Amino acid sequence: MPGNFATASDVIRFLPEIILAVMGTLLMILDPLLHRRSSNAFGHLSILALAGALGGAIYAYLNGGPAFGGMLMVDGFATFFGVLVIVAGILTILPSYRFLARQGAETSEYHALLLFSVAGQCLMVAANDLIMVFIGLEISSISSYILAGYLREDKRANEASLKYFLLGSFATAFFLYGVALIYGSTGTINLAGVNVVLSGPGAPSLVFVGVAAALMFVGLGFKVSAAPFQVWTPDVYQGAPTPISAFLSAGPKAAAFAVFLRIFTTAFAPIGHGWEPLVWASALLSMTIGNFAALQQSNIKRMLAYSSIAHAGYVLVALTARSEVGTAAAMFYLAAYAFMNIGAFAVVSHLSGKGERYQNIEDFSGLAQKQPLAAAMFSIFLLSLIGVPLTGGFFGKFYIFKAALESHLVWLTVLGLLNSAVAAYYYLRILVMMYMREPAEATEAVEPLSPGLRLALIVPAIGTLFLGIFPNWVLDFAGKSSVLLK
Amino acid sequence: MMSAVPVYWFLMLSAVLFALGVAGFLFRRNIITVFMSIELMLNAVNLSFVTFSYQLKQVNGHLFTFFVMVVAAAEAAVGLAIILTVFKNRSTLNIDEVNSLKN
Amino acid sequence: MILLALIAVLIGGGMVAAVAARWSAAAARWISLLALLADFGLGLSIWVRSAGAAGPWLVDADYAWLPQFGIRFHLAVDGLSLLLLMLTFFLGFVSVLASWSEITESVGFFHLSLLATLAGIAAVFLAVDLFLFYFAWELMLVPMYFLIAVWGHENRVYAAIKFFIFTQLSGLLMLVAILALYFFHHSTTGVYTFEYADLLGTALPPGTAMWLMAGFFVAFAVKLPVVPLHTWLPDAHTEAPTAGSVVLAGLLLKTGAYGMLRFVVPLFPDAAHKFAPVAIVLGVIGILYGAILAFGQTDLKRLVAYTSVSHLGFVLLGIFVGNALALQGALLTIICHGISTGALFVLVGSLQERIHTRELGRMGGLWATTPRLSGAALFFTLASLGLPGLGDFVGEFLVLLGTYRVSIPAAAIAACGVLAATLYGVRLVQRAFHGPNVHELRLADLAPREGLVVTLMAVALLWLGLYPRPVTATFQPAMDRVERVALK
Repeated sequence: MPGNFATASDVIRFLPEIILAVMGTLLMILDPLLHRRSSNAFGHLSILALAGALGGAIYAYLNGGPAFGGMLMVDGFATFFGVLVIVAGILTILPSYRFLARQGAETSEYHALLLFSVAGQCLMVAANDLIMVFIGLEISSISSYILAGYLREDKRANEASLKYFLLGSFATAFFLYGVALIYGSTGTINLAGVNVVLSGPGAPSLVFVGVAAALMFVGLGFKVSAAPFQVWTPDVYQGAPTPISAFLSAGPKAAAFAVFLRIFTTAFAPIGHGWEPLVWASALLSMTIGNFAALQQSNIKRMLAYSSIAHAGYVLVALTARSEVGTAAAMFYLAAYAFMNIGAFAVVSHLSGKGERYQNIEDFSGLAQKQPLAAAMFSIFLLSLIGVPLTGGFFGKFYIFKAALESHLVWLTVLGLLNSAVAAYYYLRILVMMYMREPAEATEAVEPLSPGLRLALIVPAIGTLFLGIFPNWVLDFAGKSSVLLK
Repeated sequence: MMSAVPVYWFLMLSAVLFALGVAGFLFRRNIITVFMSIELMLNAVNLSFVTFSYQLKQVNGHLFTFFVMVVAAAEAAVGLAIILTVFKNRSTLNIDEVNSLKN
Repeated sequence: MILLALIAVLIGGGMVAAVAARWSAAAARWISLLALLADFGLGLSIWVRSAGAAGPWLVDADYAWLPQFGIRFHLAVDGLSLLLLMLTFFLGFVSVLASWSEITESVGFFHLSLLATLAGIAAVFLAVDLFLFYFAWELMLVPMYFLIAVWGHENRVYAAIKFFIFTQLSGLLMLVAILALYFFHHSTTGVYTFEYADLLGTALPPGTAMWLMAGFFVAFAVKLPVVPLHTWLPDAHTEAPTAGSVVLAGLLLKTGAYGMLRFVVPLFPDAAHKFAPVAIVLGVIGILYGAILAFGQTDLKRLVAYTSVSHLGFVLLGIFVGNALALQGALLTIICHGISTGALFVLVGSLQERIHTRELGRMGGLWATTPRLSGAALFFTLASLGLPGLGDFVGEFLVLLGTYRVSIPAAAIAACGVLAATLYGVRLVQRAFHGPNVHELRLADLAPREGLVVTLMAVALLWLGLYPRPVTATFQPAMDRVERVALK
């Protein structure tokens, strides 16, 4: 390790995290100064911060490489996910303006926590050793625990926050125990180092490493809400403030998957045959449980939560492929998913009204008559979640199942595709509500679209369609960055 | 002093503590106790880190312990605050009674 | 370029119509009509210019799209797809006219959906890159779903979702087969490509070929429909608005037949050959089953829907019998069924607009009050049950002749289907139009607009029945290629 605390290149490669952390702190300091005058200011400032971080991430990429003695690795992979979580952050803030005003909630802490959470995720995706992963994971998680319960007076939010906190910390402990065992058996926590030890002569006993990998799988499985560790997801997504549910389904999930991919395809690549059946089973279970449970939901946030479990299953299919194509497929899918799911939740947030009263699928009756734009955008997101051509969801699924077939996972592919046809049913139900029913209480009471919300719907819709028509650019980048250091 | 006790024992102790933590998390109904169980799990991991560090003759493991402790403290602060708001809203600390989220 | 224009005109027209509808519903209708007319003209110009052209494709348009996967935006037409395209534009034109007064709500969105469906169908017929084909195949589903679900009748939501899930599920199986073919092609040649011409003749182990063919077959069999997979069809046809029914019966089912001709047989000739007896049996079952069920229906639209099952049984039969006669017959049936059944749906639609029911029991003696409508219905019913001199007769007769050379029992049983068709046809005409006008209905006869639609379709059928030569000459080269593989 170099003697200096940090070199200039270290700082540059750490730029997004620095910007976000500083700005987050600044927001909290500014709170007493700005509070009374304009609560929207915090939203503007945090968008500014995230835009800065976006620039920082790109600048860091252009000067990429390892940082802090190899603890971080700013490569294409890290940048891809870094940009993804930052964009997810921006897309979360857009619908939050209206949401926070409507619920009469404080805005400064909300945005500060959001920035901290994104900073944690940026750290996670660039982390190249297990302790950095752990720290990033915790920064991101602890902030999101609070965000999930941000509406203090709301019983549902309390409960969501509590469950998220308890199960999240529980999962973290598992992950950490796995890290400890890896450290003990290989003597290193650097991902590439672990890989070298595991594939070299005199590799430690497989039982020990296997247990460690299994523990880490449990921990990360919780974080990405893969079955059988998905139980918290419906409750948390239902109870959390809707923009936060959107955020949780995109940012932290994508970052956790990034960690998952990085650890399992670099450090644990030598024992791939060991963990493949595990991930295979989890993928199938997640898709099946997610889709079949979603069929029975009447609360839309809960339904989207189950759908997010199913989508985690699709990404796990890509992971099961254990190939660079699979990694790239997962990356592309998570990007498409972030757009479509944040967009979908933004519509839900728009409609839910004060105190989030309207959360049922029936409440969407006749939305197309009242607000054709919101209904049209929601249709795009839902069609993308189904995986219909011209949307990002289509290419995402196509790419994943192509990768799976390439790795000869024929049964998983067929079962996954059958699953995605089942899924069409519950998404279509919402389309039916919006287009074929007369307006009901919720849609009669719906507010006009504010500029922030309009952006919050149109930007993800454009993103979804862009990925569905011209996926080239993102596919290329994902393909290039999926070649991880082993 | 430490060499008198085999490393293996420390690891066993850590595993047992971790398992106790898991069991407490799963079977206890009081939210505070559940939370304490998580802390127990984290500290069990700390014990492992220290043991491994000692065995490998490296200083890293000790450092990780500090990271974990800091994170655990942050987690405790946030966690207790969350538990407090739940208690304020519902006047109960029984985890089974916190179940209003359903379909 | 002209091929791209075919699709772009439809999509552009749909969008302009959707916008124009904000000011005037009539403008939306006229714009759609013009777009379809323009496409029909473009199609005709291809037809005229390419007469006697050599080479497999008459017109070819190939653009890069996703080079990293070997996916190209490759469109091409041969005689087969050209005819189906002409049918698409013709029936699209008819559907716009037929829904002129039926659709009064969300007129703009309706025409957008209709034209988008047609664009999807056109893209299916045009695509010669298998990925692009699948893309279009899935894409046409969504606007069709909206057509049924938004403007349909009582049970529309159920019907629309059933239609969607059936088609999507089977389409996904086809996707697996396409991908598997793609990987097999790569493993033998080292090239990743979805190009149709390249994938032809990919060497496959026989067992695998059978599985892959099954993947394609199921997707097309759902659309066609082949009998155990047909259950979505009566619901969807019955609940759809008139334009939806016309497009479904006239075009969407034909994409299934097209898929069989274009992909199943040429890509997997050996497997298809081995599978042929099963397909022939399924075809014969479909013919009889459809006819018998049609006879039992009292809902006029449902009745016509079941006749489609029967007629498309002939198409399946013709394709898998695979000799020149049968193939020619299958193709003529595809086209004529599109027109005659389309016309029947138009007539049922205009009847429903007048008496607000489709129940046969609520009709009777309509001839007295609406002679023109009744006469037209008689004409198309006769066409549909195979009156010599009209197109359907030629098609089904050729299929039967071709089948006779391969399997006499199959031909004999299929011929019974023609007889059964007479029964349900006669019953329809008799119950609805003849006899006393017990319900004392006083209805307006066909308006000039409806008259125009019906006349156009009748002329087309007469032409196909009396002088099918230009049509058969156009698809002959394409059919010869299919036949060569089928008999290999």
